Amino acid sequence: MNTETLQAGAGVELGVRTNRTWILALVFVGTLLVGFSLGAIHVPLPALLSGEASTLERTVFTEIRAPRVLLAAFVGGILGVAGAALQGLFRNPLADPGLIGVSAGAALGAISMIVIGDALSLPESVRPYALPLAAVAGALLVTVFLYAFAAWFGHFSIVTLLLVGIAINALATVGIGAFQYLSDDAQLRTLVFWMMGSFGRAGWQTVLPAFAIITVAGVFLLRQARGLDLLQLGEADAAFLGVDVARLKRVVILCTAAGVGAGVALSGIIGFVGLVVPHLVRLLLGPVHKYLLPNAVLLGAALMVAADLVSRTVVSPAEIPVSLVTSALGAPFFLWLIARVRPV
Amino acid sequence: MHKLRFSVLVLLGLGLPAWACDDAAEDASRVVIAGGSLTEIAYELGIEHRVVGVDRTSNYPPAATELPSIGYVRTLSAEGLLSLDPTLLMGEHDMGPDEVVTQVANAGLQVVRVAQSLTAADIRAKVDCVATVMGAPTAAADALAARLAGQADALNQVQTDRAPRVAVLLTLGEAGPVGGGADTSAQNMLDMVGAQNVFGGFEGWKPISLEAMARSNPEYLVLTQRAVDGAGGIDKVLSHPGIRLTDAGRSQALIVFDGMSLLGFGPRTLATAVDLAMQLGTLPSAEG
Repeated sequence: MNTETLQAGAGVELGVRTNRTWILALVFVGTLLVGFSLGAIHVPLPALLSGEASTLERTVFTEIRAPRVLLAAFVGGILGVAGAALQGLFRNPLADPGLIGVSAGAALGAISMIVIGDALSLPESVRPYALPLAAVAGALLVTVFLYAFAAWFGHFSIVTLLLVGIAINALATVGIGAFQYLSDDAQLRTLVFWMMGSFGRAGWQTVLPAFAIITVAGVFLLRQARGLDLLQLGEADAAFLGVDVARLKRVVILCTAAGVGAGVALSGIIGFVGLVVPHLVRLLLGPVHKYLLPNAVLLGAALMVAADLVSRTVVSPAEIPVSLVTSALGAPFFLWLIARVRPV
Repeated sequence: MHKLRFSVLVLLGLGLPAWACDDAAEDASRVVIAGGSLTEIAYELGIEHRVVGVDRTSNYPPAATELPSIGYVRTLSAEGLLSLDPTLLMGEHDMGPDEVVTQVANAGLQVVRVAQSLTAADIRAKVDCVATVMGAPTAAADALAARLAGQADALNQVQTDRAPRVAVLLTLGEAGPVGGGADTSAQNMLDMVGAQNVFGGFEGWKPISLEAMARSNPEYLVLTQRAVDGAGGIDKVLSHPGIRLTDAGRSQALIVFDGMSLLGFGPRTLATAVDLAMQLGTLPSAEG
């Protein structure tokens, strides 16, 4: 069912492709600038650069808006490239980080920390990191389980991985439901809003470690482009052509878990970006991963910064959860996609 | 009590100003309020003209909903808050996220977090806190304090020997009525009026199965107006399968209050408690 989507844009000429890459890069830089300049409070960027801005304007920009916009860019970028890499790995256009259970695992880790964190009486210096660390741990736990199960199963086919991922998702959903039931009123409200996603909690203290993890994971994913291209011929043919398929799977899945886990930990669950962005890039630039992966970073980041801009400005001084914005755009696209890839 | 101590710890850990009710704010000319009961108090004290923004739980008096909304009390937006050019942010114990409160405090906004109110004494302390911090006119503050003191005195006369069996229901949802267990504001209200909570066996607000509802068999049902409206009127409530089989359903012993006045523990809650105690018969109607 994937051939049609994969072929969309396959005939894009090299020159056109280069031009479109430049346009995407410009869109990315432009969105970032707009994200930095707009907000509930008017902060004139020229005054800021020349040092003429007031203390309040400077604080709002450096302590509130800048970490928030950058976090949106990093999370959008990693979701985009992870989605593209997973779709390549599974050779399935409907794959995204949610599919193999990574997002649900991260959510389960974070929610367990919201509900039982009080009882752990952690030292104060650890507290700001407890929730993100629990989310990364949840994502990694799911990944390790995925591996252990697939290894015990004897062979490690993509279909097995996909099916196990679906089962893990179901299990994680049960866990999330159980914690919701156990939580008291205040915890319940915290976790409901956490699940809706927001970049409003971004502060330098917590985003910098996440940026480091996301950067490393992203760079590793970008380096898998050739292996992913050859994998489209099938696992056996890719192996004949010299691709270490087992290693490729390991790198893609581990990097997705670490990168998406670190992002989800700070932002909450944000749907559809990992699914939609790779398809948009494929339509523009074709399916070759050498172009697909880096441009998925650019477009994912640009879309997320734009979605966050909508979320924090349209109902100002309040804000709407960013995942409402991404899902409102993503869900109709998903339906269109299903209609499109339907076998004729 | 345990929870209160924990939140103080969290606040100290984040370097946030904890309860600071003893002194007037440096500048209370433009105040943003996050918490419905605090907004009610500001209106009662007649200083609402200094409130420039409220959260979404501030829906009483109706005029409060005309003010700019800063969103839900737990999902405040740092930049949005600051864009109202406030001089003071006053919020309930649960305003958040903590990261956002820290951000606005670091940007120079004075933040006052008011302790949760769970008893009559807490409500009076909360009113004193708002009056002090916002610098309310003495006459208005004294009048409100005197009224609440009178209601608290009345509640001290509540008879606790009979302890009628009461269920407090928040909504009558598709999944069954949502009842207030131990460790909820419903429990605190029932404690004040000398009633026994039939759902005291579990903690928090939980959906109640029809069987559990019949087994708990309350003599009185206390509902929020929203639950009655949501069900489609008193008749629909009485014919609800979970309620029909209880003593309260059979004797039509339904008592309905506005949710915020019943469970918000704001300035209206003591009057509601006196009213409820009279209807339950734990306070003689002649008094108050």
